[in-house]
Amino acid sequence: MNSLRRPRFRIAVALAGLLLAIRPVGAHHAFAAEFDIKKPVKLQGAVTKMDWINPHAWIHVNVKGPDGKLVSWMVEGGSPNVMLRRGFTKNSLLPGTEIIVEGYQAKNGENRANGANITFTDGRRLFLGGSNPDDPTREVK
Amino acid sequence: MSHRFLTAIVAGLMVCAELAGQTKPPAPAPKSSWIHPKTPWGDPDIQGIWPGTGMIGTPMQRAANVGDREVLSDAEFLQREAQRKAEAEFDSAEYVTDAVRCDPKRGGLGNTPDTCANGVSIGPPLYWQDRGTPNKQASLVVDPPNGRIPPLTPEAQKLASERAAARRGHGPADSWEDRSSWERCLTRGAIGFLPTGYNNGNEILQAPGYVMIRIEMIHEARIVPLNGPPHAGAGVRSYNGDSSGHWEGNTLVVETTNFNDKATVNNTPLSASGRLIERFTRIDADTLNYEVTIDDPLTWTKPWKIAFPLKRDPAYELFEYACHEGNLFMADALSGARAEEKAAEAAKKGAQ
Repeated sequence: MNSLRRPRFRIAVALAGLLLAIRPVGAHHAFAAEFDIKKPVKLQGAVTKMDWINPHAWIHVNVKGPDGKLVSWMVEGGSPNVMLRRGFTKNSLLPGTEIIVEGYQAKNGENRANGANITFTDGRRLFLGGSNPDDPTREVK
Repeated sequence: MSHRFLTAIVAGLMVCAELAGQTKPPAPAPKSSWIHPKTPWGDPDIQGIWPGTGMIGTPMQRAANVGDREVLSDAEFLQREAQRKAEAEFDSAEYVTDAVRCDPKRGGLGNTPDTCANGVSIGPPLYWQDRGTPNKQASLVVDPPNGRIPPLTPEAQKLASERAAARRGHGPADSWEDRSSWERCLTRGAIGFLPTGYNNGNEILQAPGYVMIRIEMIHEARIVPLNGPPHAGAGVRSYNGDSSGHWEGNTLVVETTNFNDKATVNNTPLSASGRLIERFTRIDADTLNYEVTIDDPLTWTKPWKIAFPLKRDPAYELFEYACHEGNLFMADALSGARAEEKAAEAAKKGAQ
């Protein structure tokens, strides 16, 4: 038991844990069947609305094309429940908010994408984790 | 079951839920003097929202080196905690590139065939997942004692290879039937309580003679009659089967039979003889022990059991789950596969 308190041992255990751990990420459906890894997209535009629906939310964004015309895109998000539990509220992404989405376009060529990375224009990420009630690293105030 | 009868049951459940809401909660008492609450009609009261979120990350089967130990050692628990912390850091990172998300040296986080291919991640951001609370339970499977699912019977193995053979030659999305019952919004499997990446809410409501068990993921509600008539005839089979319950002391025992051949446990379809026996035992105000025995002699060489605690969380909300509404997955997957076929054909013609 004493050895567990030794920092070097703890680091070794932690590293072993990281190397061994393979935990499948469950999702309602396979994103790989819907989106195309050969079609990476980087979209910037203003949010027009958000559909809070199960199993996955949709963020609607108006993206300005090279010709200056606005094109409507839909970006697939998490489930409403998990987003709320992470501290995301209906005010987190109000219409008009500019976001940058890096993801992959739908295989069928429609203007739909997953949102592998979503940031605000100042570089902040859409929202940070840590407000998950089950997060052991969360500071209880 | 007639529509009117169903309406009456639902109305009854709603009235009971309202009555339950009106009763004043008892003053918090020390754990040792906790008395199991009763419903107004005298059944043990196990109503409430009991999410399985905390158990995400506890593996279904036990690692071989843990052997027959149901509880992890301190060192093994430290590993699990380290993994959980790594996930939390990963979730909180300002910006995570595909290369990092798919890097096995980062512990394989998010690194599944579904989400990572050739170092490119096509999955949703990982902060759109729920995470569990590290605990010392070695595996969800508790029996056999080694925490491993028993081998399939020779008949079940034969069936599995026949199914695999029937799948050969099919693309991943030739038809909607090539996609899983989960993706098709039918069911996630015969045991809805198994923890998954998100939407782990479970709700129990009681009415005289009935218990309603609602699973958030895909929105499955089972209405379980208590001490009711025998199970439906052998010709009646469905994804959720036919449940019948009774009380053994303070434990609700639910036996479910009549599963169809697409109702699965651990991705293996149950046979016509498949039977699940679930036991729900509230051991204190906030803990409901859940157990399920999988008894299907045509499929597994012996019965096996999963058990884990569910924690009450009155703040957890279950939202509407009209699984097909606004869900473009199936249309996108089918039309995406057709688009890929067209592109492949065009490329073939171009090459000629």
